[in-house]
Amino acid sequence: MLEIESLTAGYGGVPVLRDINVKLGVGEIVGLLGANNAGKTTLINSLSGTVRPISGRILFQGEDITAMPPRLRVERGIVQVPEGRLVFPDMSIRENLLLGGINSRARPHRRQQMDKVLELFPRLGERLSQNAGSLSGGEQQMLAIGRGLMAEARVLMLDEPSLGLSPLFVQYIFEIIDRLHAEGLTILLVEQNLNLTLRHAQRCYVLERGQIAVEGVADAVRDDPRTKSAYLGL
Amino acid sequence: MSELYQALAQGLLIGSSYGLLALGMGLVYGVSGVVNFSHGDFISLGMFMCLALYSALSLDPYVSVIITVPVMTAIGALVYLFLIRPMVGHQFLMVVQLTLGLSLVLQNGILMVFGGQPARTPSVVESKLLLLGDVVLRVPHLIAFAVSFVLAGGLYVMLRSTDFGRSIRAVHQNAHAAALMGIDVGRVQVMTFALGIGILALAATLLLPGTPIQPTQGLRYTVITLLVVVLGGMTNFVGIMLGGLVIGIAEAFGTIYLEGPLGLLMPYLIFVLIMLFRPQGLTWSSSR
Repeated sequence: MLEIESLTAGYGGVPVLRDINVKLGVGEIVGLLGANNAGKTTLINSLSGTVRPISGRILFQGEDITAMPPRLRVERGIVQVPEGRLVFPDMSIRENLLLGGINSRARPHRRQQMDKVLELFPRLGERLSQNAGSLSGGEQQMLAIGRGLMAEARVLMLDEPSLGLSPLFVQYIFEIIDRLHAEGLTILLVEQNLNLTLRHAQRCYVLERGQIAVEGVADAVRDDPRTKSAYLGL
Repeated sequence: MSELYQALAQGLLIGSSYGLLALGMGLVYGVSGVVNFSHGDFISLGMFMCLALYSALSLDPYVSVIITVPVMTAIGALVYLFLIRPMVGHQFLMVVQLTLGLSLVLQNGILMVFGGQPARTPSVVESKLLLLGDVVLRVPHLIAFAVSFVLAGGLYVMLRSTDFGRSIRAVHQNAHAAALMGIDVGRVQVMTFALGIGILALAATLLLPGTPIQPTQGLRYTVITLLVVVLGGMTNFVGIMLGGLVIGIAEAFGTIYLEGPLGLLMPYLIFVLIMLFRPQGLTWSSSR
């Protein structure tokens, strides 16, 4: 469904990622692991189009989207739930969700879509007119995921959804992720949390200093000694 | 006592237009981080366009808006696309420098075309007065007040409950997140700047009847607008309208109660005083 072919990308011409090859199949849940500064967020932003590749190609459903602006990628259904949630703090939950569905493909039926999202996160429905900035971290993460779903994602890319959440909330968020996967959504899960990701993802890639160090099914990645070294920098 | 009412009324009426001017600047600052130092010269441009339309076609300024608002909106879009956009994201001072340069270009351009003599653009309502007890209200001021508040209300509703308005607020609150929603951030910035200049064109007409205009007046309007925007907390909608009223009233009190130059200093004095005690602006929160 989504293919990254020998991608090199970075900022101001300085590569952060070098020669990355990643594939996502339809309905798959794939983990992208790595320590801080390994290039995980740069990779996900290259997929969203907010970071421009230096070389290489990105294909989505066979279409070359390497040079496509972010707006059109969202329209195609490539949707990112960013690190740190980045909800719009001075807007209500309702407004945040409406903005999630502002792309031209999702907009016509975003009211129905909002009902679905609120069914998934009833807690958001109880406080639709409350400002997003006043929510707890866990609630903001629900809103960020809900906002991503409003875009009628075909590939949902979650950047560190567990970051800064209490263990209870982490568990809840991952139950939601499992549920979305079970419903057939293709998911790219970007995480620092190794064990958690290995438990939920079918396949994993481990990034180390901008390159793929390990890839394979979750169990193989867990047992690979290079995974540990990528994390500990040994 | 009647002087007091006169000053208050006059200040409120004019101040509403100042608020409107400042809303344009605040919106642009909110989505692009650009402070436009040629703001006042665009007001001049709008006013002189009205003068030209009067000279050529005897159009009343209130009719001229049908032409000046779309033309100025288009000019705003072009200026943003070709002059300001290439600078956004670089040093803040570069944009300041650019808009200051633009101010000189506009000022001298108007000077070349219209000459340096103060001019007036007549309007049918120009000398009409309304008497409320001892208070004399000029009809153009009443029109300015009504239109400014209706327009500010319209803008408020637009920002709250349309997709375009929500996009503007989203870009203001987090441009990166807005891009991830599929909002074309660049397009929102161009449209907001164009909208800001279009509002200026309207405000120019509202301030015009009975006011002598000259090409060098731009800076005064820029400074007044900056005072209002800063008083309003830069991007706070209600704060900016309130700031407009405060500056309008300060100006009216200055001219009615104080002699000459001292009176003209009044808005700046009030501004400094407020900033000393409330550096964050007039309102409490920065929600928009």
